[in-house]
Amino acid sequence: MRPLLRYGVVCLALSLAPAWAQDITAPKSAVAGEQVTLSIAGSGKATFYLIGPGISNTHEINLGEEIKLRGDVLRTAGDYQVVVCGDPCKSATFYVMPAKPFSISFLVHPSRVPVSQSDAVSGVAFPFDQFHNLVLAPVPISFQLASGKASLLNKTETTKSGAAWFRTASSKSAGPLQVTAAFQDISAKRVVQQVASEPCNLRLTGQRNATGILVQTEPVHDCSGNPVPDGTIVSFTANAGGVKSTVDAPIKKGIARAQMDANGAAVISGASGVVMGNELHMGAK
Amino acid sequence: MDPTDYVERSDRTVVDVAHPYARPVPLLAIVLLALAIHGPLLLMQLPAGSYDANFHMFFASHYAQHWFDPWNVKWFAGFSQTTYPPLTHQWIALFSYVVGLKMAYMLVQLIAILLLPVGVYRFARIWVSDREASYAAIGSIFLGALAGLVYQAGQLATVASVALYLNALPYLYDWMTKSSVRSLIKGIVLGLTAAAAHHVTLIFGVVLFAGPVLWTAIVDAYDGRASGSVGGVIARGAIFAVAVGAGVGLVLAPYWLALIQHPIHQIPIPHDSRNNFLLNSATAINYFLIPYGALLLALPFIFYKGASSRRLIPLLMGFWLTMIFGLGGTTPLPKWLLGRAFEVLTFERFTFWATLLAMPLVGILAAELIDRFHLKAAVGLALAAVATFGAALYWLSANPFKPQMSTDIAPVTAFLNRDGHDAYRYVALGFGSDLARVSNGTVANSVDGDYNSARLLPEMTNYGSAQLTNSKFYGSAGMASLRAMLEHANRYGLKYIFVHDPYYEPLLTFVGWRKIEVFDNGAITAWSKDDVPPAHPIESDAKPSAFQGLMWGILPVGFSFLAILLEIILPETRRVQTANRVPVRAEHSVASI
Amino acid sequence: MRLILPIVLAAVTVVLIAVALTSANATGKTVGISAGSSFLTPKPTTPDQALSNLLLNAKRRNWDEAFNSVSNAQSPNKKSFIQDWTGSYGSLRAFSALEGYDIRPLHITNDEAQMRVRLHWTTPVGPIEDVRDFRLAREGEIWKTVWPKSDMPIVPSQVIPVTYLRWDLVSGGSDDEWGAKNIDAPRVRIVSMNPLDFAEGAVVLGEVVNEDTIPAFVNVTATLVDGSGNAIDEETSFDKIDHILLPKQVTPYRIDFPKVKFKDVKNVRMNIKATLVPASADPVIGVMNQKVDPDYQGKAVLRGDLFNESGQTVNIPHVIASLYDNNGKVLWVADGYVERALLPQTSAPFSIEIPKNMASKVQNFHVVVNQYSMGRN
Repeated sequence: MRPLLRYGVVCLALSLAPAWAQDITAPKSAVAGEQVTLSIAGSGKATFYLIGPGISNTHEINLGEEIKLRGDVLRTAGDYQVVVCGDPCKSATFYVMPAKPFSISFLVHPSRVPVSQSDAVSGVAFPFDQFHNLVLAPVPISFQLASGKASLLNKTETTKSGAAWFRTASSKSAGPLQVTAAFQDISAKRVVQQVASEPCNLRLTGQRNATGILVQTEPVHDCSGNPVPDGTIVSFTANAGGVKSTVDAPIKKGIARAQMDANGAAVISGASGVVMGNELHMGAK
Repeated sequence: MDPTDYVERSDRTVVDVAHPYARPVPLLAIVLLALAIHGPLLLMQLPAGSYDANFHMFFASHYAQHWFDPWNVKWFAGFSQTTYPPLTHQWIALFSYVVGLKMAYMLVQLIAILLLPVGVYRFARIWVSDREASYAAIGSIFLGALAGLVYQAGQLATVASVALYLNALPYLYDWMTKSSVRSLIKGIVLGLTAAAAHHVTLIFGVVLFAGPVLWTAIVDAYDGRASGSVGGVIARGAIFAVAVGAGVGLVLAPYWLALIQHPIHQIPIPHDSRNNFLLNSATAINYFLIPYGALLLALPFIFYKGASSRRLIPLLMGFWLTMIFGLGGTTPLPKWLLGRAFEVLTFERFTFWATLLAMPLVGILAAELIDRFHLKAAVGLALAAVATFGAALYWLSANPFKPQMSTDIAPVTAFLNRDGHDAYRYVALGFGSDLARVSNGTVANSVDGDYNSARLLPEMTNYGSAQLTNSKFYGSAGMASLRAMLEHANRYGLKYIFVHDPYYEPLLTFVGWRKIEVFDNGAITAWSKDDVPPAHPIESDAKPSAFQGLMWGILPVGFSFLAILLEIILPETRRVQTANRVPVRAEHSVASI
Repeated sequence: MRLILPIVLAAVTVVLIAVALTSANATGKTVGISAGSSFLTPKPTTPDQALSNLLLNAKRRNWDEAFNSVSNAQSPNKKSFIQDWTGSYGSLRAFSALEGYDIRPLHITNDEAQMRVRLHWTTPVGPIEDVRDFRLAREGEIWKTVWPKSDMPIVPSQVIPVTYLRWDLVSGGSDDEWGAKNIDAPRVRIVSMNPLDFAEGAVVLGEVVNEDTIPAFVNVTATLVDGSGNAIDEETSFDKIDHILLPKQVTPYRIDFPKVKFKDVKNVRMNIKATLVPASADPVIGVMNQKVDPDYQGKAVLRGDLFNESGQTVNIPHVIASLYDNNGKVLWVADGYVERALLPQTSAPFSIEIPKNMASKVQNFHVVVNQYSMGRN
C-alpha cells in the first residue's frame, strides 16, 4: 500500500512541475550496480523521490548538496526518474545500462533427438549481467557441440538484441551430445540425448519349448548401427490356424523376447513401430 | 401410619402416598441427572465420531465466517446452506468464538439433551401426574434411540428440534383448553424456534405430536375438563396452526424458496432404515432393538394402558403410528402414506419420536411398579434404563454401521493449502464423514459434499448415491456417479483426489490419474491428473439473494433469542403439587365413563 | 376398549408386516452392509428357491448358510467355495460385491435342474455382468446347488528370473538454472481417428502411438464444435485407452459423447496430451488364442487368453481392442475387465462383446492389455 501511495504522490508532483527539470544534474546514462552522483540546485530542505524498474525510494535532502545513489539501488537496468519536491517540485531522468556479461542462459532444444537428423538441434544463448539484466550490447558467443570426442560444431555468433543462436544436425551415433555456449570465461553447458532412430532389419528367431514357442529378436539396431533403446516395444504376432496370439514385448538388453502359446503350425511375425521383421514358419509340435 | 395416607388408586392398587417414591422427582434433579449422564460423554467429545457431527460443524464453520452469506463454495462446486434450517449451526457458530467449533457442537448438543427431559416432563403432564411425568422425563435421558441419534448418527438438529417442540406443545394444550394468550405467544415462538432447528420434525410433529394433543384437548373439552366447547378448542387449535404455519413460512422463507426452485428430483438414495428389518438382522438390531431397548418389555403395558383411558388413546395412536413409521420398510404403511417422500426420508428419527411418545405411558408403568414393589421396582427400572443406554453405547463400537475411526486429515489439508493446490477442486474418497473435517481445514473447494439435499450437479443427482466419498457403499450407482464426475474432471477443475480406501485405486489407475504423494505411511494417497485447468466458479441459479441471506442470518436465531426472552419475562405459573393426590387426568378409565 | 384396541393395533401391525414381506423387492437395498441374516428364509422346495437362497446368502456374505445350501458340500471345501465368490490375489472379484441376479431355468426334471443366472456385480471399475449356469439336485424335500470344482490355477513354487526395466523421473528443483533441466514431453501421435454415431450418442475412436524413446502418459480429448464454432461437448478417452505407452507402443482409444449426434457437429477438435511419468516395462502380458466367436446368445464376442509372462501378479487386467475393417480402418474400440487375477506364468480367459452391427465387418483386431497391480501403480 505504501509504495502505491508514494507512487501516487510522485505522479502528482510530476504533473505539477516538469518545468524545473534543468535544476537537477544527472548523468545521461549509468551502469547497473555502479554509484551515480546527482546535484540539485537550490537551498533548503526537500523530498527526494527515485522511481525505477522495480524500485521506488524517498528521502529528505538538503538542496544544493550532491546526492549519491548507491550501486545496490541501481541494480536493475532501465529508465529511472528523479523527483525533488521542495518549493516547487523538479524532476529528471537517466538510463541505467546492464553491466558486463556475467552469466549465460542457454536453451537447447530438443532434449532428445534421433540420430542423423538435419537441423534437429537448436540453441539460443542470452548473456546476463550479475544483476540478471539482459545484456543488449553485442556479445560474441561461442557455440561448441561435441559428441564423444568428435566435435560437431564450433562457431561464434554475436548477439542481436541480447540473443545469439545456432541450428545444426544430430550426429550419427547415439549418446550424449555436449552443447556449450561461452563468452570469455563464462560458459553454460547442456546435454542433448541422441537416441537411435527407427529399428532397421528386425530379425526374429524362434524355438519350441514346453509351453509353446519362444520367439526373440536378434539385437535390434537402427540403420546407423545404434542399439534401439531398451523398453521399445516389439509386437510379436503368431497366426495358427486362424487363431491369433500377440505379445507386446519390450526390448531388454537389446533383445525382445516373448513366449507364444501355439501348439500347431504357426506363422510368427514381429514389428516395432513402422518396421516389420521377417516371418517365422514354425511346424506343429 | 395414618390410614388416610392411603389412597385408593384403582381396584387392585393401593398407593402409599407417604413413602419417599410417592413424590415427583424435581425437574432440576432430572436436568442434573441428564447433565451427569451426558455431560461427561459430551466432554469426551464422543459424538465427534458420529455420522453427521462433522456436517453440522462444517455448516457452523461457514456461518462463523459468513453469517449473512449462506452460499458455500466448499462443497458441490457451490451450494446454498438455506437448504437446511440453520438454528443449531448458528448457535454452534456463536459458541465457537468462545470454545472452538468442536466444543461448541458439544455444548449445543448438551443444551438440546438438557431441554429434552424438560420437554418430555411438560409434554407428559398433559396426560399424567407430575410424578409420572418426572419418571417419563428420567426415562427419556436413557433412551437407546436418543443415544443412537446423539452418539452414532449425530442428528443434532432432530434432537434439538424435538426438545423444543415438546416444550412448545404444552402451551398449545393450555391455549386450546384455557385460552391462555401467554401460552399462545410462547407456544408459537417455541414452535418457530423448533422449526428453525429442524423443519422435518415440525412437519411430522404436526401429525404425530400435535395430533394427539389436539385430540386430547377435544376429549377434555367434550368431558368438561377444559374450559370452552369442542368447537372452541378446534378453533383455537386452528389459530395456533395458522400462526405457526405463517411463521414457519416467514422464518424459513429462503428454505422454501430454495425447495420450490429446486424440488428434490434426484434419484432416491438407499438408506438401511427404509429396509424390511425382518430380512436383515443387523438392520433390525440397529434400528429397532437398540433404540427401544428395555422399552420393548413395556410394549404390552403401553398398548394395554393406552387403550384403557379415553384421554390416553390419542397418545397411544400417536405412538403406534410413529412406531410403524420407525419400522421403515418392515411395513408398507410409510410408503403408502408418504409416497415419493418415503425414498427421501430416513426413519430412525421416527423410532426416536415413538420412544418419546411412549414416555408418558412408561411413566405410569414406572409409578405403578414403584407403588407396588418400592425399592425393588426402582432398582429394576434403573437397571433397565442403564442397560438400554449402555447397550446403545456398546452398539456404537459393535455395530457394522459404525463410522470409521477418525482419520488423520492433517496431511491432506496441508497438501491442499500449499503450492497453489487450492486453485483446483478435490475429492476425498473413503473419508466418510471426515470429508467435512477436510473441508473445514482448507480453503480449497470440492465437488463432493456430505449433504444430499444440496446436490445439484447432474453427475450426482442422476444416480442413486449420496456422497462421492462413500461411492462404493452405494454399489453400481455410487461408482457410476464417481465415474461421471471423473469423466468431467476438467470441467470442474477437479485435479486432486485423496484416497483412504484402496478400493478406488483401480478405477483411478484405469481412467488416467496418477499417484503423486503418500501420507500417513500409505493410509492416504494423493492422486492427480495433469491436464486439468484451474477451477472456476460454476454458475448456479440456486444462489440466494443478499436479502435472503439477511433474513437467514436474523430470523431463525432471532426467534430463539425471543423464546429465551419470553421464558424469562413470562415465566410459567407454578402448578400446585399433586404428588399426594391421585392424578386427575390419568384415572378416568374408559370403563368408568 | 381396554383389550379391543390393543388387539386391533397388534393385528393391523401383523397384517402390515405380512404385506411387506409378500410384496416384490422386499429385501430392499442395503448401503454398505452386506452382513446380517434374514429372520425368514423360505424353505428351498423348488430349484428356483434353492438357488435364490444361495445367491441371497452369497450376496449377504452369510457363508455358513450359503455353503449349507450346496449339495456336494464335501467335494468343494468351504474355503474354495468362498473364494469363488470373493476372489483372491486382489483380483477384480475381490473388490466386487454381488448386487443382484436374474435366474432363468434352462432345464428342470423331478430330481435335477439346470439354471442360468445373470449375476450383477458392482466393482470399482463399474458394473459387471456375469452369466453362470448352475446345476441343482433334489435331496429329499429340498433342492440344493451342485457346486463345481474350483478351476483356480495353482502356481508351483519357482524362481522366475526377471530383468526389471523401469524409468524414473527426477524433477529439478525450483532453484535450478533456467533451461538446465528441460526435458521435452514425449512425442506421441494420433494415427487414426474415426467419428461415428452409435446407439444414443456419438463416438470418436482411433489409435495413438508413442513415437518417442521414453514412456508417455497419454490422454486424448475431443471437442465437438457446431456450425457457429461453439463447443457442443468435450470428453476424454477416460478408461477406453491404455494411458501409459512404452516406446513404439500403440493403444486404441474411444471417446463417448452421450446424447450427441454427428449431424449437429461441424468439426471435431482432437487434443492429445502426453506427459513424462515414471513407468515400468513389466509385466508383459501376452494375448493368446484370439478369435471371434458367438456367445450363448449368439452375439459376436472376441475371446482369448491373457498370459502373464512376468514374475509378478497382475491384479486386474483390462483388455482394450481395436477392431478393423478390411481396409485397416478402426471400426470400433471395445474393452473389458478380467475378474480373475493373473498369477505369474498363468493365463486367464477374457471376452469382449462386439456390437451387433459391426460384427460382420470386423476383419482384424489388435488387443492391448492395460493392468492394475497393487502397490505398483
